[in-house]
Amino acid sequence: MADFSLIAQALDQGDRDKTVALTEAALGSGANPQEIIAQGLQAGMAAVGEKFSSGEYFLPDMLMAARAMKAALEVLAPALEQTGIPTIGKVVIGTVEGDMHDIGKNVVATFLSGNGFEVFDLGLNVPAQKFIDEVKEKKADILGMSALLTTTMPVMGRVIKGLEEAGLRSSVKVVVGGAPVTQDYANYIGADGYAHDGGRAVPVCRELIGK
Amino acid sequence: MTHKQQILAAARGGKLDKLPFGARIDVWYNYHSAHGTLPDKYQGWSQTDILRDQGAGAQARFFAVTREEYRDMEVVETNDPPYITTEYHTPFGNVAKKELFDSSEGPWIRYEMEKLFKSEKDYPVLKYVMEHTEPADNFEAFNKLREEVGEDGMVMTAAGGLWSPVQRVMREIIGYEQFFYELADRPARVEELIEAVKDLERRKLQVGIECDLEIFNICANWSDDIQTPVFRRYFVPWFQEVSEFLHSYGRLVMAHTDGEMRRLNPLFRETGIDIAEAITPAPQTLVSMREFREQLGDEVTIWGGIPSILFEPMYNDDDFDNYIKNMFREMAPGYRFIVGMGDNLPFDGDINRVGRVVELIDKYGRLPIEV
Ligand code: B1M
Repeated sequence: MADFSLIAQALDQGDRDKTVALTEAALGSGANPQEIIAQGLQAGMAAVGEKFSSGEYFLPDMLMAARAMKAALEVLAPALEQTGIPTIGKVVIGTVEGDMHDIGKNVVATFLSGNGFEVFDLGLNVPAQKFIDEVKEKKADILGMSALLTTTMPVMGRVIKGLEEAGLRSSVKVVVGGAPVTQDYANYIGADGYAHDGGRAVPVCRELIGK
Repeated sequence: MTHKQQILAAARGGKLDKLPFGARIDVWYNYHSAHGTLPDKYQGWSQTDILRDQGAGAQARFFAVTREEYRDMEVVETNDPPYITTEYHTPFGNVAKKELFDSSEGPWIRYEMEKLFKSEKDYPVLKYVMEHTEPADNFEAFNKLREEVGEDGMVMTAAGGLWSPVQRVMREIIGYEQFFYELADRPARVEELIEAVKDLERRKLQVGIECDLEIFNICANWSDDIQTPVFRRYFVPWFQEVSEFLHSYGRLVMAHTDGEMRRLNPLFRETGIDIAEAITPAPQTLVSMREFREQLGDEVTIWGGIPSILFEPMYNDDDFDNYIKNMFREMAPGYRFIVGMGDNLPFDGDINRVGRVVELIDKYGRLPIEV
């Protein structure tokens, strides 16, 4: 019987090779790939997120863990061909129009996908209409928007209005973030959630869709 | 005392009778100049003249007092607006970067769509590029701006790169995420590249020191995403070396500490840097001005204190005034403190709030500030 906690531990340490080796071994011993993901990989990622938010870990620790997760998922991919990788929700994410900052958004996207969300990353400088079209097309549970400039923050409010006009607002939760964005600002523009950092983005998204 | 004298005196620990103010408005100015939307009164004015009119000291920006020249390699720049591609042809192979530069929106920093570093095989090429780049002086252009600003403020500039060597490798050459992967997978190669960039930076300092500028900015854009252990290991020794060098020539050393500084603050005091500039407190970051003062200590000059979001229409004049008054109290008694922006007046900020700061300083910024 594979010990999933070892996988979680290796991932927590950001050790890609070890995470991959343990995942291969677990799979070889007949463990259910879905369980490897839930009890090993996602459990490890959750621990990393908490440690980041509490100040014990740094941003690169999250990146290393997410990289290890990605490599382990590649190992599991053939076994998951029938069922697909289990996802807990679909997120469309991007940096708003006029804004060329994508490092934080990339971290959040990487971390959300590492935690079991299916992420559609639209990149940076994303026009409002593109967000709306993609939310509709992908039937997204969550729309994530990042803004790093005080002058591009209002674009997030405009996208929310656009979602309302397109009749999509009730079907999608909107989460916003980025250095100048605050909880007050998120409330002010009518977003559903705000995350100060990549670690918080995961629990915020989970809570919003009740997972 | 002129604005320039006040700023320098505060940075040298002098006792002034009122808080000095060095304001930075280039993001706002460049945007509105490009769009023809400067307020009617200021159409055709220079930044310095606008700041003079508002009664504030200027904090003008100039990239660096050196520029780069290349030897034994071919550097080809192709301009295909809004993209600029730069290729470096060396005997070890080629590297290229692709940047987006659209000044119509005002900002003057290029966004790199494609980094120089693509894979492990680029290390020797990059090292060669650094070793065959030579600094030349750029004093004339700097002096022109300095004359324009005169005694009405300071022109902030660097000897070489905007960023310190490690940040140049992290943010510019390899890219943020990839840098940490590379550092985990191939630390020796990354360190070798950092050393080559450091060496180039040392040569720039040797040229730059011939320029009589008073304050050297040695590293822009600090924020907590520079992982603290990486900062301790790679940044701190470099800052110590450069601070020692510049201090031996009687110059002041500054860092542009404009981001979330919660985790880097405790290390600042080890660097030997004199001025922490563009200090951006809560609500834009998690650190209050009182905490900044406590963590940086009384020997470091803090320049900043007004987070740029405060200039936004979301905050009304009362919010603005209350914030500033409270911030002054947090900085009591107020020495080694230069009022400034964290780090700029945003595009949609109100320029008249710069003048408002001047008035608030007159009323509440007399030194020592008593609580
Ligand atoms: C969906 O849900 C969520 C949830 C959480 C979310 C989220 C979404 N998105 C982010 N989060 C959160 O989680 C992330 C991980 O923990 C965090 O993401 P962050 O993005 O906050 O953190 C990242 C991991 C690391 N942080 C960063 O990547 C930003 C760092 C700083 C240094 C910065 C950088 C690197 C850049 N910049 Co610019 N830049 C600055 C920043 C100053 C600083 N020292 O912090 C800032 C953001 N920049 C600024 C400015 C003014 C500019 N920049 C510009 C350009 C650039 C570069 C291109 C050079 C580069 C970006 C490269 C890139 N690929 O992203 C220009 C604008 C270009 C444009 N149109 O966007 C230009 C206008 C400068 C100029 N004169 O040209 C300032 C904004 C000020 C303001 N009030 O608006 C700034 C704060 C610097 C300053 N002190 O003034 C959280 O915020």
